[in-house]
Amino acid sequence: MTDLAPLLVAAIWIAFACGPLLPANFAAARKRATLVCFVALLATGLAWLAFGRDDSAGGVLSIGGWHLRVSNQGFAGIAPMVISAIGVVAMAMSDSLSHSRLTLRRMLALLAVAMGFVAVREPAMLALLWTLSPWIVWTELRERFGRRGVAQLFAVYHVASVVLFLAAIALGQLGWTVLSPLLFLAAIGLREAVLPGHSWFPRFVEMAPLGLVVAFIAPQLGVVVQVEVLGDALPADLAWFIPYVGGATALIAAALGLVQTSARRSLAYLLMSQTAIVSLGLDGSSEIARVGALLLWQVLALATTGFAMTLSVLEARRGALSLANHSGSFARTPRMAAGFMLMGLASVGFPTTLGFIAEDLLAQGAMETHPISAFVLIGATALNGMTVMRAFFRLFSGHRIHTGETDLTLRESCALTLLLLALVLGGLAPNWLISQEFGAPDPHSNRSVADSTAVAIDADAPAP
Amino acid sequence: MTVLSSAWTTALLIALPGLPAAVVFVLAVLRWATGRRAEEKVVAILFGVAFAGVTLASAVLAYQLFRTGSLALEADLGHWFAVGHYEFPLRLRGDRLSLPFALFTSILVGVIATFSRKYLHREDGFHRFYLLLGLFGAGVELVVLAGSLDLVFFGWEIVGLSSVLLIAFFHDRPKPVEHALRTFVTYRACDVGLLAAIVWMHASTGGSSLTLADPSLRWPGLVVPSEARDALVVAFLLLWASIGKSAQLPLGGWLPRAMEGPTPSSAIFYGAISVHLGPYLLLRAAPVLEAAPIAAWAVVAVGLATALHATVVGRVQSDIKSALAYASMTQIGLIFVEIGLGLHLLALAHIVGHASIRSLQILRSPSLLHHHQHLEQAMGEQLPRTGGHLERLIPARLQPWLYRNALERGHVDALVIDWLVEPFLRSFRALDRWESHFEEWVGGEATPARSTIGLDPFEPRR
Repeated sequence: MTDLAPLLVAAIWIAFACGPLLPANFAAARKRATLVCFVALLATGLAWLAFGRDDSAGGVLSIGGWHLRVSNQGFAGIAPMVISAIGVVAMAMSDSLSHSRLTLRRMLALLAVAMGFVAVREPAMLALLWTLSPWIVWTELRERFGRRGVAQLFAVYHVASVVLFLAAIALGQLGWTVLSPLLFLAAIGLREAVLPGHSWFPRFVEMAPLGLVVAFIAPQLGVVVQVEVLGDALPADLAWFIPYVGGATALIAAALGLVQTSARRSLAYLLMSQTAIVSLGLDGSSEIARVGALLLWQVLALATTGFAMTLSVLEARRGALSLANHSGSFARTPRMAAGFMLMGLASVGFPTTLGFIAEDLLAQGAMETHPISAFVLIGATALNGMTVMRAFFRLFSGHRIHTGETDLTLRESCALTLLLLALVLGGLAPNWLISQEFGAPDPHSNRSVADSTAVAIDADAPAP
Repeated sequence: MTVLSSAWTTALLIALPGLPAAVVFVLAVLRWATGRRAEEKVVAILFGVAFAGVTLASAVLAYQLFRTGSLALEADLGHWFAVGHYEFPLRLRGDRLSLPFALFTSILVGVIATFSRKYLHREDGFHRFYLLLGLFGAGVELVVLAGSLDLVFFGWEIVGLSSVLLIAFFHDRPKPVEHALRTFVTYRACDVGLLAAIVWMHASTGGSSLTLADPSLRWPGLVVPSEARDALVVAFLLLWASIGKSAQLPLGGWLPRAMEGPTPSSAIFYGAISVHLGPYLLLRAAPVLEAAPIAAWAVVAVGLATALHATVVGRVQSDIKSALAYASMTQIGLIFVEIGLGLHLLALAHIVGHASIRSLQILRSPSLLHHHQHLEQAMGEQLPRTGGHLERLIPARLQPWLYRNALERGHVDALVIDWLVEPFLRSFRALDRWESHFEEWVGGEATPARSTIGLDPFEPRR
């Protein structure tokens, strides 16, 4: 049942994205899209609670004569809920100035692609979805800004990423066990904006509608590939460099985020740095780091969505946001300011949130195998915290004159409350979450979390 | 000498951080959900009751500790989360170091809460102040009662954030906000030391819990790593964390600037509690410092240098709060020296005495001139000059040079900014400029943005 829920949700979202089901009026379309995502959140949540974590290795969904390998473990267990929550918040907080009805459609399509991506394990389907996702974004960029500029920049990197991904799958099918994972890593590196394949990212976040940015970035499909598809397929003598590349990206992006004068570019580097931190736990050498990385994936998906969308609603009220000077008054928009700060702090692992637990596990795990990367993580997180508070102080204080913007609306408040609840409740009861997701809460258990999450692509493996 | 643990002690130990945290949580949730502020009177009473409860609980625990002669009272709540062999222990511990701190904190926060009811009456941020004060109180209780460094870090971060947000209390003026950001940056840079020490402790000793390895110690401390190199690294990392929190050289520049916050918060944070958390951490790390004499001497050196610097700089300050900030730095520097020399009980007494007198001085600082005049009227003559002994001790030729340097605050802030912060920022700004040029080179000339409204195939055509 948990196998089917995400695919069903993806199909419904595609129907809304491609058909005439969204009303013509932007506000009504946003309302319906939010509702659709909220229903999906309830459905996937109920399916997860009812059927829990299944220890089987996945399943085969037969539609007519066509068989589709699907998974309900690890990512595929909790990710549908996380993606639905991203959808609820991104839709509810999309403003009519920077988002059009077509943008909402594309956001739904991107979320459907992400939902499908975490559910299916069919290489051909994964390749199709990996290609489809940047294409959807590129069409929006091309229509808004023309073929050159940000659309061209985006295309250069993502065409390369798609080509590498397709080549990796093809070589994997041919049994190239060293080159294929390396090409996967290169494709992921470009997609997740890991140094040196990151240059498309700041400009993209700076210019694209933030709802679209969130729908494209927050599900972090690269991490899904690394955990679910590559799994243990990456030879240990090749995996060692992942934490170092990730660490360098995390640290440099964190420092770059601190010197930005544009709020959006600062957000871009914050996202880049935090996403790179996830990779520190994904080289498979430490079970603790791996659980930390997967928890951090969820935290980032939720917290950065909230952070980016709060920035988006502020921008809709105030225009382009600069961090060069103080430009706001906390007293006039207290809820927005508090939401912005809490989301930002949650994303950098502040105590009382799930982010604290994720980063603690990641640091402890990384210390066991790559001590340098553990210290890099600590340093990058510290810098990211400075970036968040700098943005908070510059955007919400230091200014007496009220520019007239209103505080969060009820719709926006409800969306942020949903995220806050998820992050705080997850932080209060992490053991339950860890046991549900990874089945490894027992401190004396020797069971490897990697055993339960990774599903490697193997051409010779028979379909279950 | 044993460790006592019972249902009562567990409940009381949980109540110490739990009561203020619960009040903060309820008021914050109500504010977020309804958008309305509770009555000033209600807020003040709630916090008053919470801290009275904390004081009572601390007193009962202290009495029990004294009566039973036990080493510590413990509340073992298992672990917060665990994966593989790693677990985050939830253990609170009341001992001869933590309970005086806990009791003292609750009394002072309670006094400040009462004082602020009139001092901040009808102030815009009245509720915000109390929420942050409650958060601070809960954070400090957690730091001092934590049975492991992991939990110390949790409270440490909460204390830091509440402190920074209170410095920016008058948020519509740019200066307090700039100073709050500076404080946050300092805190954050030094918190790296604490987190790294925790991670290092876990790697070298398998945990970061407080234990009584040496029966000659008066209170539980950190487990000493078996390798001398590990002990040295942990000691230096903890010293770095303490330097930031306690405004020691070379990072003490934030403390006089932090006085931009409301006077009651300055008193409790920068006169009494927050700045003393650094020495508290070092007292807990005493066994590690003993095992790493180089680090212990570094503690002495930092403390001595700060004390000398701050006593000279403080004498030329023209506003009372800055002068008091430097006076605090001086005393904390001396406390560092005491800890480095192994005079732990003296350091504890010094902390309590200094915190009491300094918070009183800061609370009285807004009405300083008034009190001064009253005193002179009562005496019938001008008050005598104080601090003349430095003029007698320092050669006359050196005095103008020292005065100029003191006015420039020893150039320490300028050195940190010019030699550390600015080069760092400049290099990354340059990198960002190259990055932008590269983006333009790859992407080519951008066309102006246009709306996608009207491109939707299902949008009704006009």
